[in-house]
Amino acid sequence: MKRWVPVGLLLLAVALSLYPLEATGYGVRVMLQLFMWIALAQSWNLISGLTGYVSFGHVVFFGTGAYASSLLIVKAGLPWPLACLGGGVAGALLALVIGWPCLRLRGPYFAIAMLGLNEVMRVIVSYYEGLTGGGNGLSLPTLDASLAIYYAMGLVAAGVTAVTYAILTSRFGLRLMTIREDEVAAEAMGIDTLRYKLYALMLSAIGPGIVGGLSARDQGYIEPISVFPLIMTITMIVMALFGGKGTIWGPVLGATVLFFFQEAVWARFVYLHQLLFGAIIVAVVLLMPRGILGVLQQKYNLPRTI
Amino acid sequence: MVGQVVISGLLAGSIYAMVALGLGLIFGVMRVLNVAHGPLLMLGAYTTFWLFQRFGLNPYLSILVSMPLLFLLGLALQRVLVRRVVDAPELSSLLLTFGVSIALVNLAQLAFTSDLRSVEYLTGSFLVGPFAISKPRLAACAFAIAITAASFVFLRSTRLGKAIRAVSQSREVAQVCGIDVQRIHLLAFGLGSALAAAGGSLVAVMVAIQPEMGQVYTFKSFLVIVLGGAGNYPGALLGGLLLGLVEQLSSLFLTAQVNEAVAYVLLVLVLLVRPTGLLKGRV
Repeated sequence: MKRWVPVGLLLLAVALSLYPLEATGYGVRVMLQLFMWIALAQSWNLISGLTGYVSFGHVVFFGTGAYASSLLIVKAGLPWPLACLGGGVAGALLALVIGWPCLRLRGPYFAIAMLGLNEVMRVIVSYYEGLTGGGNGLSLPTLDASLAIYYAMGLVAAGVTAVTYAILTSRFGLRLMTIREDEVAAEAMGIDTLRYKLYALMLSAIGPGIVGGLSARDQGYIEPISVFPLIMTITMIVMALFGGKGTIWGPVLGATVLFFFQEAVWARFVYLHQLLFGAIIVAVVLLMPRGILGVLQQKYNLPRTI
Repeated sequence: MVGQVVISGLLAGSIYAMVALGLGLIFGVMRVLNVAHGPLLMLGAYTTFWLFQRFGLNPYLSILVSMPLLFLLGLALQRVLVRRVVDAPELSSLLLTFGVSIALVNLAQLAFTSDLRSVEYLTGSFLVGPFAISKPRLAACAFAIAITAASFVFLRSTRLGKAIRAVSQSREVAQVCGIDVQRIHLLAFGLGSALAAAGGSLVAVMVAIQPEMGQVYTFKSFLVIVLGGAGNYPGALLGGLLLGLVEQLSSLFLTAQVNEAVAYVLLVLVLLVRPTGLLKGRV
């Protein structure tokens, strides 16, 4: 059984890389967005699923990455792949600056501080009109790169998932999970909790930073309200939660199921969209807070690294 | 100039204090941060608007309708949903109340449309010496002070109020003393929602009413209870007035757009420098 997992993943990777040859432009876009959501949900899982610190403003790294890489493209003339990596760096730097003070806060206080940070960033970006275009937004030079962006998004999604696997099977991951279960005990065991929480937050900010850049390049236009929406944070949380937070494949599963559900069902209910989403959130929280994989894990005694 | 800022700040702050006391009650008793607090305020504002529009009811009298109405809605929310996540990790209660919040906003959009509404009742200002005091704000401040004072009397002197304070100090000890904790949770959520409704009815006369008007109050209220010290009810009063003053003061130097962020920056600063709040609360 265990031997077949790498083979299956390899087949999946080959199928997905051949997919654009057969698919329509719309089909490629849909998959590209799915990759984006997987990367986002998985990144949130890295900090919040593993350490238990709820980042209620994770989209701030997405927005920061989007603006950083757009500015690198527009003002510095960098090629977009490099600029998107720059978006990842910007995300990690912001995580360092903000995590160092905020990760000392516990419980709902950290969650709300992150939420506030997102609002502050949105206002800052709107304020520096000379650089960012303010509320008018920022247009990128036209370029049709959706195929390249498809592969790049896929790589980021796979990369973040691989990092999660590497962390979950390492001593670093054990430290993070110890913090989640009992932070005081972790400290008593000699774990420098702030340091490891900070590493986790920075790692979890790189993915959204790059994805933000890629998404900006793909859309060709960004504005403050489109890249810092609170609802995006909530969506990635619900995806990770639905699949199973703190697991490797949970966020992938949750993002896939909810994303296709959204494409297939919600699009028909334009007016009830938010109401339905609210109901889904409530249902997930009340009925399956451990997520699909969490339930299966408990029921069938599956390994921690699933 | 400074005098004007102080007056405007205190007028705005008294409403913040009342609304935040509602959020603080819920947070203090259950450690649940009710993200739907702002949307509940929005429902209060719509109650006032419709009563004014349809029946010409005095907006200040409509508080007598909006508070009981939202008290009942709060009871229902607590009874059906929130009760189940009180002891869960904070992620559950944050997400759950967020789900309720966007559902309420969406329902309001469907039922009332997103048009901006207003209650044109009191307009204009009193001129006192060099200062201008807006009439609706003064009236709102007076009602907010009265309602807040009544809440404090209730918390301080009645058996139920004492039970609420006991549960927010220690649920276990309160339970051992024979207090029905579930019932106190229910009551706290109902009262918290009613205070949000009162806030909604009062701001209805001053600002445009629309389904998304409430969200910003959730955050400001949380800032106020952190400023005052979580679980410290008089602290909410101080925090509210302080937030009103700071916002007015910063509006002198900052554009309206940036001024929105002042509350957020302030919150992060307070959390870092003095997480127990100005008056001592629990972290």
